[in-house]
Amino acid sequence: MTVADTSQQRREATWSRLWEKLTPYVFISPFFLGFLAFMLIPIAFSIFLSLARWDGMRAIEFAGLQNFIDLFQDKRFWNAFRVTMLITVTCTIVGPAGSLFLAVLLDKAGERIAGWLRAIFFLPSVTSAVVITYIWKQLYSADYGYFNAFLQQLGLPVQQWLNDPKLVVPAIMVMLIWAGLGWDALIFSAGLKTIPEELYDQAKIDGAGDWAEFWHVTFPLLRPCLLFVLVTSVIFLLGIFAQIQLMTDGGPMHVSENLSLYLYQSGFQYHKFGYASAIAVVLTIMMVVGSWLNFRFVRLEV
Amino acid sequence: MGRRQRILKTGMVVFLCFFAIFYVFPYVWMMAMSFKPDGEIYSVNIFPREPTWEQYKRLAFGYQFGPQYNLQYKYGAYYRNTIIVTVLSLVLVLFFDALAAYTFAKFKFRGKTVLFWTMIGTMMLPIYATIIPAFWLFSKLHLVNTYQAIILPAVVDAYGIFLLKQYMETIPDELLDAAKVDGAGAFRRFWQIVLPLSRPALGTLAIFRFIFVWNDYLWPLVMLRQESMYTLTIGIAQMQMRQGMVVWGVQMAASVLATVPVIILVMVMQRQFISGLMAGVFKA
Repeated sequence: MTVADTSQQRREATWSRLWEKLTPYVFISPFFLGFLAFMLIPIAFSIFLSLARWDGMRAIEFAGLQNFIDLFQDKRFWNAFRVTMLITVTCTIVGPAGSLFLAVLLDKAGERIAGWLRAIFFLPSVTSAVVITYIWKQLYSADYGYFNAFLQQLGLPVQQWLNDPKLVVPAIMVMLIWAGLGWDALIFSAGLKTIPEELYDQAKIDGAGDWAEFWHVTFPLLRPCLLFVLVTSVIFLLGIFAQIQLMTDGGPMHVSENLSLYLYQSGFQYHKFGYASAIAVVLTIMMVVGSWLNFRFVRLEV
Repeated sequence: MGRRQRILKTGMVVFLCFFAIFYVFPYVWMMAMSFKPDGEIYSVNIFPREPTWEQYKRLAFGYQFGPQYNLQYKYGAYYRNTIIVTVLSLVLVLFFDALAAYTFAKFKFRGKTVLFWTMIGTMMLPIYATIIPAFWLFSKLHLVNTYQAIILPAVVDAYGIFLLKQYMETIPDELLDAAKVDGAGAFRRFWQIVLPLSRPALGTLAIFRFIFVWNDYLWPLVMLRQESMYTLTIGIAQMQMRQGMVVWGVQMAASVLATVPVIILVMVMQRQFISGLMAGVFKA
């Protein structure tokens, strides 16, 4: 072995050690670059924009907290906030409760039927919000929608589901709950399957009735599922957009306008991108707070 | 089982089936509407008395209302765009997420924990936190109204990495170490061992992303400007917004064609999808 050979080998060994050390960074770089470009930098830029005025064409002018001051004095903002909260809180309570009920029933219904039924309930989750919204828009139609046809059959007065300020938000909520039931029920079903049979047998031996069995065995063990369903529901509902825009476009007269729609219009119709970014910041904070609240709530049920 | 139990169970099944009608009805109705001639669109009967292909023909050949005016829908373009965007997003997401997940699962490197938790943190953020700046970025790069504007942001999918990482962590290290000893480099270990073994998780992720991208509305709405670039969701929504014409029939036909592929996909991959969903929930 000559001196030249060993130094060659040493060089190769150094290169391969270098490659070993660099490998993780190389592998992660495509994702990381994307993450930087489409997530981190936009988030930072959003926050910056919320403190500025920009119409998309002229220069960006720094404006400090002015956008937020304007926002908190904006009646339309508070209206949108109220609508968003109403939809989110109501549907987060009714939806998961209904899904849980459904999942429990499915669990007791026998596997073959349950499989088919779960798939049917799941259909809206694989359907575009656009399609769902247009189908429901027709169902709610004052002149020829099936809901009014049904009321007429019963001799009841016809309703302006989407034009009556008192009915429009509940109408939208019914659609949202309908659409979300299957997905959540599937998750609860998965959770139910992980509860060992022995616990139920033990409960029966101890003489527990159906309700006690649910409350003391099923419910506590479903807690992680419940948390997941609640948190994802809140995040989803706070941000719904297509359903509102296509159903009523916030109408009549902004009665059904939520924060996402207001954000979109502020930015892409009125070209007030700074203002829209401020709304985005508010929405984001709401989501973080909402998630945190759910964590506290579900934990507290010890 | 006892008689009371049996009655209860039957009652539950009946209730569930009855409730399921509320889920099947809208889809049946949508399909029925798509076969109705214009005169029957507003009529009470669910099924058309004179079924016709007219609505579907209009998608392809245009809507002739009046001797002069023919409203053309670029439905074929919508379909093509949606397929391109979905397939390309899928391929990119699967490849880059898998690579990143493999790195998180099997390697140690500086900044790993920080990066991982930052990524998890962003999972909770709404699309609204990034959409305006992303729009600005793409306009600066003159990439608005292109496929890239929709595909590229989709690559950043924290949930996918999370799902894959959890799954890959279950691949025994010994297997990879043995390969390493045999002289396989990191990429080969990834390509030939980790990827094939991760097929269930990859399948689940693929289905999720497919459904998400195929049905996405807001992102294409912001990024696409020309009708020839629209995806199905935007195209169908725009149909309503044109001069208030009677387009329900055409829109339902368009919706049927847009929805059926996704339903078929999920039916076929049902087991895969459900087990993946369940696994994902528990790891989360």
